Amino acid sequence: MDFEFSPDEQAFAEEVRGFLRAHPPAGFAVDGMDAGYGSGAHSRAFLRALAERGWLTMTWPRAFGGQERSLMHTLVLFEELAAVGAPFGPLAGCQQTAEGIIRYGSETLRRKVLPRIGRGEATFWQGFSEPESGSDLLSLKTEAARRGDEYVVRGHKIWSSHAGIADYGLVLARTDASARRHQGLSMFVVDNATPGLDIRPIRSLTGEVYHYEVFLDEVRVPAGYLLGKEGEGFTQLLRGLDTDRFWGRFYKAPMLRRVLRELVEYANVTERGGAPLARDPGVRRRLATLATDVEAVRLLFYRIAWMIREGLPTPYETALVKVMADETGQAVAALGMEMLGLYGPLTGESRWAKLGGSIQHLYQTSLGQTIAGGTSEILRSTVATRGLGLPAEARA
Amino acid sequence: MDLHLTPDQQLLVNTAREFLRRQCPPSAMAESVASDRGFSAELWKEISVLGWPGLLVPAEYGGSGGGMLDVALLLEEMGRACFPSPYTQSAVVAATLIANSGSAAQRERHLPALARGDRIGVLALTEESASIDRESITLVGEPGGRITGRKLFVNDAHVADELIVATRGASGLNLVLLDARRPGITVLPMEAMAGDRPCEVSFADVELREEDLLGAPGRGWEALRPALEAGALARAAEMVGCAQQILEIAVEHAKGRKQFGRPLGSFQAIQHACADLLRDVETARGLVHRAATWIDAGRDAAAEVAMAKAYAGRAAQTVARKAHQLLGAISFCEEHSLHLYHKRIVAAALDFGDPSHHLETVATAMGLA
Repeated sequence: MDFEFSPDEQAFAEEVRGFLRAHPPAGFAVDGMDAGYGSGAHSRAFLRALAERGWLTMTWPRAFGGQERSLMHTLVLFEELAAVGAPFGPLAGCQQTAEGIIRYGSETLRRKVLPRIGRGEATFWQGFSEPESGSDLLSLKTEAARRGDEYVVRGHKIWSSHAGIADYGLVLARTDASARRHQGLSMFVVDNATPGLDIRPIRSLTGEVYHYEVFLDEVRVPAGYLLGKEGEGFTQLLRGLDTDRFWGRFYKAPMLRRVLRELVEYANVTERGGAPLARDPGVRRRLATLATDVEAVRLLFYRIAWMIREGLPTPYETALVKVMADETGQAVAALGMEMLGLYGPLTGESRWAKLGGSIQHLYQTSLGQTIAGGTSEILRSTVATRGLGLPAEARA
Repeated sequence: MDLHLTPDQQLLVNTAREFLRRQCPPSAMAESVASDRGFSAELWKEISVLGWPGLLVPAEYGGSGGGMLDVALLLEEMGRACFPSPYTQSAVVAATLIANSGSAAQRERHLPALARGDRIGVLALTEESASIDRESITLVGEPGGRITGRKLFVNDAHVADELIVATRGASGLNLVLLDARRPGITVLPMEAMAGDRPCEVSFADVELREEDLLGAPGRGWEALRPALEAGALARAAEMVGCAQQILEIAVEHAKGRKQFGRPLGSFQAIQHACADLLRDVETARGLVHRAATWIDAGRDAAAEVAMAKAYAGRAAQTVARKAHQLLGAISFCEEHSLHLYHKRIVAAALDFGDPSHHLETVATAMGLA
């Protein structure tokens, strides 16, 4: 048993660190705010720089222009980027969509969209949730009807991160109204430039915009932009959510390690009641407890990555690790706020702010994370039923 | 990254699980725990035949020269069965101390006997401060002199053949290796709620000979550190096994018991509690395995062991408490084995450093001033 990266993977980590030293992340233009997941802000410039290194396509099959490197390389990349707070916000979505297109995509998608992902020119939003379909996602009402070479999509999506600054949406719609809930769903890649799309920002409690609602009014999607086949939407959704929970949260552990390092430094240089905060036994114990929790999360992610690489099924593992990652993130943010005391709520705009106001930002954004991508309640039920074999709860 | 077990490790796990399932079912386990000795001498002999007490002992002394991951895997299986034995004290801690620090003569004399399970070695470290910090060792003792005083919380001293005693000498901490029957030594049980068998070991003007010294004089703490890490990690692994078994007991109950015409496990409140038990067990196991691989690779694993022990101690106790709630009134009965698992966890969480002790190690390793 060995939890370490291979020499080749470690050499790649060093290569990434070298790149980050030569191109400090702070120097890249940002077009969307950091949502606190650990992937930093949304920056197309940074995404393109990663693409230039070939890092967006490195795990793709050679037939699609990739280098067929193992997924551990992506792990290494994400870990190094999160460790320095680089703005790689759109990367997980690109990764996930590319995987879907390589696996299920039509020739059109492979020819028109995939190369753009590889060049860092295409970013994505997810059109899954609807105003009346949150945790009960399968009650969704958005419809897509085939008309000749096109599908005509009508509906209303919500909580789509970065929809207003991305290029394409992955839209889940009902293509067969007569089918049972989880059947008759299909997944479409929808170009943001398509007429009939109305994308409106939703201002979040931080004052910034992460989410959008998207109205689809007779949006015409070419048939070649159907991902896979009609009726496969549910399978792709599950796979997508599974990948999303993994790749969308993997970098949380390295990000939280960075935050804990900052809090340790803060405790070391801050006096409270005439003594260094770092000598407060309560602070020491709670920081150590959370550092241990973060480590536990990291090792669980490693185990899952290894399982994915080995081709082992992961029926509940990503749900379990997402719950723990997001709850640990909330706990770290809450402890940080407590340690900063009255300085905690000060934003980065205040000249008195500590740690650049980053802790209050983390605290606020962390509130959304146990909701996004499957609430902790839904995911605990997933763990119980798929991981422990408990009977599903009766549903209406 | 490769999280596979080797074929040998898989064999060890399978053999241990099958052996303990057959030989140490809950009824037999409860009987052993309630006995005067606290474990079954017959089963100790049988596991000795299987070579378990020699797992960490080098092959040249009759052991199998295994590593900490092997030990962790075996202890997890022992935890699953709540198997009571002086294994951690003798086969992990005493064996590590003698293998690392013993003179050629001490190794020759003691390691094969420990590996065969013929003799049981026990570390006597803790005193009234109930702490395992270096400063807490105050019992004065110098080879060539005599010791008077006592050690407390010495697990399994009631069955010990050899005692390894930490004493304070002129040049620092010493370790001395004594026959437990040497005149002047008295062992009394401390009467705990039966998770472990902590004893009071008294020394009344006991002679300490030069040849009793284990390792260099004044270098006792350096010798103790790896042994204490091994002990802490072994207990952490045992707790993971206990918690795994508790999880399975709770899930079986949730599937089988019906109330309001539905299985308990179909209620969200029960499902979510069970999901948290699974999380606690899997995360604790990851930390234990990682720390073990670091020790086996010869890396400084102090912080990793501390994380594993602190986390497993906290997580396993949470699992045990939640399981009582999930099982309801039946779990409050003596005849249900849950309380025995729970009490084992309570004891193991405190042994070789409680969670606070280990969190302080983590805090220091994080760079807190």
